[in-house]
Amino acid sequence: MVECDFPECNTFGSVIRFALELEKGASAVYEDLAKEPLAASAAETFKALSAAHKKRGELLEFTRQQKLNEMILEPIQDMRREDYIIDTKTPKGVDVKAGAKFAAKIEETSAKFYSDSAKIAKNLMAEAARIMDKLGKESLANKAKLEAL
Amino acid sequence: MALLSEVKKDYGKLKNFVNGEWVDSTSGKYIDIENPTTGEIIGQVPMSSADETKAAIDAAQEAWWAWRETPPITRARVFFKLKEIMEQHIENIARIMVQEQGKTIDEARGETRRTIENVETAAGIPSLMMGYNLEDGGAEGIDEDAVISPLGVFGAVCPFNFPAMIPYWFWPYAVATGNTYIIKPSSQVPLTQNYLTKLVEQAGFPPGVLNIVNGSHEVSDTLMEHPKVKGISFVGSTPVAKYIYKHSAENGKRVQAQGGAKNSLVVMPDAVLDRTISNMLASFYGCAGQRCLAGSNLVAVGNVADPLLKSFVERSKKIKVGYGLDESVNMGPVISAKAKQKVLDYIDGAEREGGKVLLDGRKIKVPGYEKGHFVGPTVVDNVTPDMKLAKEEVFGPVVGFMRMNSMDEALDFIHSSPFGNAASIYTQSGKSARDFRYRCQVGNVGINVGLVAAMAYFPFAGYKDSFFGDLHGQGQDAVKFFTDRKVVITRWF
Repeated sequence: MVECDFPECNTFGSVIRFALELEKGASAVYEDLAKEPLAASAAETFKALSAAHKKRGELLEFTRQQKLNEMILEPIQDMRREDYIIDTKTPKGVDVKAGAKFAAKIEETSAKFYSDSAKIAKNLMAEAARIMDKLGKESLANKAKLEAL
Repeated sequence: MALLSEVKKDYGKLKNFVNGEWVDSTSGKYIDIENPTTGEIIGQVPMSSADETKAAIDAAQEAWWAWRETPPITRARVFFKLKEIMEQHIENIARIMVQEQGKTIDEARGETRRTIENVETAAGIPSLMMGYNLEDGGAEGIDEDAVISPLGVFGAVCPFNFPAMIPYWFWPYAVATGNTYIIKPSSQVPLTQNYLTKLVEQAGFPPGVLNIVNGSHEVSDTLMEHPKVKGISFVGSTPVAKYIYKHSAENGKRVQAQGGAKNSLVVMPDAVLDRTISNMLASFYGCAGQRCLAGSNLVAVGNVADPLLKSFVERSKKIKVGYGLDESVNMGPVISAKAKQKVLDYIDGAEREGGKVLLDGRKIKVPGYEKGHFVGPTVVDNVTPDMKLAKEEVFGPVVGFMRMNSMDEALDFIHSSPFGNAASIYTQSGKSARDFRYRCQVGNVGINVGLVAAMAYFPFAGYKDSFFGDLHGQGQDAVKFFTDRKVVITRWF
């Protein structure tokens, strides 16, 4: 299990930090699931999703470095941290169905986080909003993929 | 949320950077550098002498001709290299800035990005400093050219509020155009510039092209008076800007001196309140109000006043104050105990003059940072044009709420100020916006934008007592400031 330190979502930096923690957590969960003997038939899918979440983390780091514009650094007051926290304690001994169900919940929460943060980022930085939006859509696609397992 | 780590706890005794070498000051005088959030001493900065400054000027003069003869494209390449190195150090630059200045990590990251943008813009110098010509411009067979040439040694005297960016409004343009340079960083925040100069060193500028001399008045006065220095750039308060402008001009220098400000944000009845308030919070409380573009007077026009004030106060209460290395903090401290006292005096004074303090940041306590120079978000209602709070620069997170009947009245009030740095209007009416931008006599106008911070390729403008000089920092203005036109008339027999 990986420890995630989810901050309050009240600045651009803390929203990105939250997203980075979320990606770190999701990637670790998939890594754990890929090692589950009863879920071996989906190991490749879980490994691929773990790698995808790592890549998303890199994209977020890039966003923080390149897209920040201090002219429009408004405080963010409409996002509640509690609404987006994911469970990263991967259950042990799960089969494909149970593992996928657990991960699908993470993707669902991620999708909501990115969708909400994209709406807020749209008012601040359209470029950042586009990235959040893309990540949210990817999470929904991941959820659908998991539900089909 | 855990704090981001500090780059170092103690930066020790800083050195000057002269002729490509880091040298200890010979003055023997040092002052402490304080972290304004924790009250910890995080280093010492030398108070260099006039002789040390003269040595830097000599080194810059010595380096000038070879650098001036270096082709613009080759000079540009060094800036490309510098940009590449800076990109790798963004986070360290930002965290040092938080540590010594107190701003939030987002603000510091944003400032670092703007710093890099000035390097990127200056790297376009082969195109930016092209001259012009006219065949047969003198007469038939006589051509006329205007060649853009560098002038020699320039210097900058820099403020505490933007430790990274403000020196970069100037020196990249000066050096890219073929001049050499001396920076005197603010003695309150010299660490960021110290770190950045180590990156400059790695980029491959020849010795003497960029020099850093830490210190105070003695350094500034020497720069202003020395015959080898061609021009001075300055950002700070209006009284000092006036002095720098006058004293440098008396000594035959070019000068660009940015002074103080008193910026009004005008909210029209048709403004989109929710978005307007979010944007204004950044303007009033960003960098704890210590920026020359910060909103200071909130001017409500007509019946928008009551709902605006109610919502603005509610949302101001949610501003999280603390150490900027906590990414969820919205606002840090002001720079020093003295600065804090000055801000508190303004709030006390406003109360005595009839202002009603609706949100009071005077007694704010930030757990764990009892020695920090914090002033919480403060909103004072019933502010009138004759009150000190409406007229003078506070440089803190204090909002003077004013009620007016029309945009005309708001513009008259703005024009009554000796300052002319920035003003903004919030409206959905194109007509109101157009009238405002056309009539408003300030250097930076915002339409639904409360922080009118020009990008690197535009000048950082300013009118009246907010700017002394003619050519501003950044972009084409900077290129012109650091160069002159040499006219060449050619005839071949």
